[in-house]
Amino acid sequence: MLLWENLKLKFLKLLKIKINPFNNFVATGEIEELLDFVDSRRHFLNSLIKFVTENEGFILPILGDIGVGKTHLFWSLKMNLKDKFNIIYISLDNIYRKFYFNLYSEFIEELGIENLRMITQELCNNWSGLEKKYGFFPIPDIQKARSNALNKWKDDFGDKNSLNDIINVITSHQLDPYKRIDAEDYLLGELMNIRELALLDVENDLRNKKNAFTMLKVLIENSKLGTIIFIDDFDKIITLMKEEEEIETFFDSSWYYGAEESSDNIVAKNILGKISELQNIKNLKKIITLNSKNSLDEIKKLFKQENIELSNNLKEPLFLSNFKEEDIYKFYKLTIDKFLKSINSSEILSDFKNPYYPLSKSILKKIYNKSEGNPRNIIKILIKIFNDIIYYDKINQE
Amino acid sequence: MNLDTKNIIYDSVKNIRTHGKFNGSIIVMCKNENIILTDSLVYYDNIIEINKGLMVGFESILANKKEAFSISSNFRFNLDEDTIDYSVLIPEDLVEKFDKERFSDAFPYTINLLHSAGLLLNENHLGMNHLDFFKGEILKNPIALIHNGICVADRVVIDESSNPIFYGTLIIGRNKKENLSISYESIVNVSDKLIRYIIIIGIETIKE
Repeated sequence: MLLWENLKLKFLKLLKIKINPFNNFVATGEIEELLDFVDSRRHFLNSLIKFVTENEGFILPILGDIGVGKTHLFWSLKMNLKDKFNIIYISLDNIYRKFYFNLYSEFIEELGIENLRMITQELCNNWSGLEKKYGFFPIPDIQKARSNALNKWKDDFGDKNSLNDIINVITSHQLDPYKRIDAEDYLLGELMNIRELALLDVENDLRNKKNAFTMLKVLIENSKLGTIIFIDDFDKIITLMKEEEEIETFFDSSWYYGAEESSDNIVAKNILGKISELQNIKNLKKIITLNSKNSLDEIKKLFKQENIELSNNLKEPLFLSNFKEEDIYKFYKLTIDKFLKSINSSEILSDFKNPYYPLSKSILKKIYNKSEGNPRNIIKILIKIFNDIIYYDKINQE
Repeated sequence: MNLDTKNIIYDSVKNIRTHGKFNGSIIVMCKNENIILTDSLVYYDNIIEINKGLMVGFESILANKKEAFSISSNFRFNLDEDTIDYSVLIPEDLVEKFDKERFSDAFPYTINLLHSAGLLLNENHLGMNHLDFFKGEILKNPIALIHNGICVADRVVIDESSNPIFYGTLIIGRNKKENLSISYESIVNVSDKLIRYIIIIGIETIKE
């Protein structure tokens, strides 16, 4: 087009609409990262995938500095393993209260309604919930299904009341068309009132930790896909245990919690207890991320104190390292490509002699050296540079 | 596909007889055009015994009126009386398909009739045709006799031209060489002129 003969100018004008191609320097569990891992990390990712698919019941620590891309790893795993695993992201900040309920909510969001229906249908078929009349017409027999389920599972589940509740909900969901909608609400983790609970013939909804745990165990163990829990920033548990030593408060919490333990300490121990309990769920794999080797040593100690089995399942860590120099060039080009594609202008870069326009290879090298290869720091600097281009038409060499 | 001999319990035309006790999805076609569905049948010494079967068909209630019926009962047939045309055990893989593709009961706009009723009967002066009344509706559990084949379907939808479309259908009948054949079809589109009768089986009858 005549107006845009000068493609460099077109690129700069596009930037002027104030969209910075580098806008996200912190990955989160909520916002999807579309960029896959850079080449030098492919080997790391492949060995992680191999480990995850070949091992069972483990807790695998991933070590890496702050900003190295541990949360981004979650999205890469999800992208590469979506056909084999439900992968759930968990931040201890969000779930340390109502642990099982929050974990269940995350799981059910990942599982999806169609898979949930398939699981309950399969369970009811296994419990002979459908009797075939005259060889052709399936007729539901709820009582038979419930008693078969109880007989089958009574030894595998500790709490009989919650097992009863869970079986009643699953059978109602598949075999009773009049209760199906309420049962589905229950399974989706909706909060239920007394009337709805009575209709489903259950005592508690999933806010009850035993019910949430039992339901989680049932769904994970009967899902066709495996399940991985990705617990980010697991160091938080150490911080919780140490908080009292570091923070000076006017309020003496020992009045409430006794002299020996602070409330955070109790919370941290609770989380450890619950993670230990998760070991009882078959087909569940756990990945935790930590910032340093020291954190790992402390976690090892805590696990040993909590439960020897928990400690045995803690595997040798994998180390996620910073970008290599060639990664920054690849990362830069991929991000700019993605940006141009998103505004339907991917043809712009193809004619440039300098593939790193408006920057250059030497600028990218400087950025790499300054950030020491830490991806978050690299993105921070790139954001600043592009802001300068957008708002001040210049590149600050400093 | 042609039925394997092991699935043919009795065939009056080809004189096939397989004695024994059969369990599964079994269909018996009577020579008076009644159809029996059952999950358990014993054939010995020229006697067919059905433990709890569902017989459907049309019966005369007045000289000029016929009505659909379905009876759940035990049946006993002496084959010397020549009342049975054939009896077949549906192969497992087709039954599995039939079960798998059933429409969910949770779909709210499917009509289940409480009692069995005739939807269509093509018989000179005694005919009935309620297809227009159910135009555009989904009816559960139809069973139809089409020319010389039986059609057991999960549901039937009456289209805009008042022709029935059967979904999730097992078709059992005789081919040109009079061999018994069976197939599963997801959709069967039949002109109402070719159909001998369609009966919708009532849910009360099934639950009995």
